[in-house]
Amino acid sequence: MIGVGNDFRRDDAAGLEVARRVRAAAPTGVRVLEHDGEPAGLLDVWDGADVAYVIDAVRGTGGPGAVHRVEVGSDSRLNREPRDSTHALSFGEAVALGRVLDRLPGRLVLVGVEGGDFAAGQGLGPEVAAAVGAVADEIVREVGG
Amino acid sequence: MTHRSDRTLHVKALARVEGEGGMLVRTRAGRVEEVRLDIYEPPRFFEAFLQGRRHTEPPDITARICGICPIAYQMSSCNAIEAACGVEVPQAVRDLRRLIYCGEWIESHALHIYLLHAPDFLGYDGAVEMAADHREVVQRGLRLKKTGNEIMEVIGGRAIHPINVRVGGFYRAPSRRELTNLVPRVEQARDAALETLRWVAGFDYPDFEQDYEFVALRHPADYPITQGRIVSSGGLDIPVREFEDHVVEEHVPHSTALHARLDGRRYMTGPMARYNLNADRLPASVRAAAADAGLGPRESNPFRSILVRALETLYACEESLRLLDAYEPPDPPAVDVPAVPGTGHGATEAPRGVLYHRYDLGEDGIIRTAKIVPPTSQNQAQIEDDLRRFVEPRLDLETDELTHRCEQAIRNYDPCISCSTHFLDLRVEEA
Repeated sequence: MIGVGNDFRRDDAAGLEVARRVRAAAPTGVRVLEHDGEPAGLLDVWDGADVAYVIDAVRGTGGPGAVHRVEVGSDSRLNREPRDSTHALSFGEAVALGRVLDRLPGRLVLVGVEGGDFAAGQGLGPEVAAAVGAVADEIVREVGG
Repeated sequence: MTHRSDRTLHVKALARVEGEGGMLVRTRAGRVEEVRLDIYEPPRFFEAFLQGRRHTEPPDITARICGICPIAYQMSSCNAIEAACGVEVPQAVRDLRRLIYCGEWIESHALHIYLLHAPDFLGYDGAVEMAADHREVVQRGLRLKKTGNEIMEVIGGRAIHPINVRVGGFYRAPSRRELTNLVPRVEQARDAALETLRWVAGFDYPDFEQDYEFVALRHPADYPITQGRIVSSGGLDIPVREFEDHVVEEHVPHSTALHARLDGRRYMTGPMARYNLNADRLPASVRAAAADAGLGPRESNPFRSILVRALETLYACEESLRLLDAYEPPDPPAVDVPAVPGTGHGATEAPRGVLYHRYDLGEDGIIRTAKIVPPTSQNQAQIEDDLRRFVEPRLDLETDELTHRCEQAIRNYDPCISCSTHFLDLRVEEA
């Protein structure tokens, strides 16, 4: 279970908060990581896993706290985004690269928590904080904690 | 529509987090009228966040500014705090710092060379397309990057936002055995780095020699990483504490970012600057590899920065092997750094260039003010100038091609989105 985010970008810390809650309750055999989302690094951490969850804050139209769950391989919404950075790959590119190099986990689930405030600062907004708790509980249930 | 004399090339912001940037090049009547590199976000939030914190906290806090180069932030902050408090760390601590910093150079340079910059030279849209055709090459790049991460992880406690670095040294010194275990992988990385250098030496480079003023650290003996004086190809030679006497950050109208200027002049920092000012500090084996790869004593084509990054990756591997071989755990792993009121300055060579920190400590050891000048804000004015000079002779290119070439020209600098911005969603507006 890979929580992605930045603690100093308010709602962007949602994935990290989910990771911290899951870590406290997860059974043996579940590896919980906090990650900044650098995609080449994601290939290294999910390589060889039977199942990998990636939890990240996202921006969308559902409003802060809305949760989106995407199973990679079965959901077209995770198609690759265009190359758009001078500095890093996108998450979609990491998945595409993993597919080309046969370095995807057996199952890859992306859970996106919509954030409202990604400005510099600390602390989640109330809707995001509530969603984080629900997502963490759901993942712990799924992995048998 | 092609060959339009009035055009706007616009690469606007990407929407993952707030505080993004982009590129705008506007041409009229076949001339470049306006170039704007909008990088909105220097680490000012962190400068404010550090105020009121204890003098021991900057390494942990500033490591969060950038996921690619946390060690650079930690080391510049340690240098500055230790300078403020009048503490010199022992050589064994310096060596371990240099080793973890080599890991960061390897990781950061491998990422940029293989996944971001090489696809431009080989005509691919990105790393994924390149990997489909050059699977083993990309795997080599990822292995190289991973070895850099492993060095950071063994010494730093974890690769991302390392937790073992503190003011005065380290919380825990790795055992000799822990580090010796890295040697076979670093030896493989050295071989991969040499193959990388040979690979990029075969790329085609556009003619774009420019007359730059280079700025880098310079050390009496070593290729600069963790310490040195600040020198320039224009004759500057100052201690780090005089940085702000010469480098002034200016507001520019089109951006909330600051543009740094050296005594009023734009300049370049980063691998090209380090190489041009310090090639004589490289060991003979690395200098020989440079010559074999066609690198001259002076390089002034920024597109060839990928060659210099490959050479520095080779150097960082060789330097890591030297430091691993000589390693004796520092005992104690850190020296005490009691707070002393005053001001301290620190600079190190981040993968992208000089990273400067200043801290003003009060009587109680609490940080009163902090200042951080990352390499990307120093390079911004120079990147804009490059774009201006690059675009004008190439206005006959199709808009898509020209936009892509401009992005490649920006990528020459490996501008840091985490230090400065998140970046680039492509859109082209025809005037």
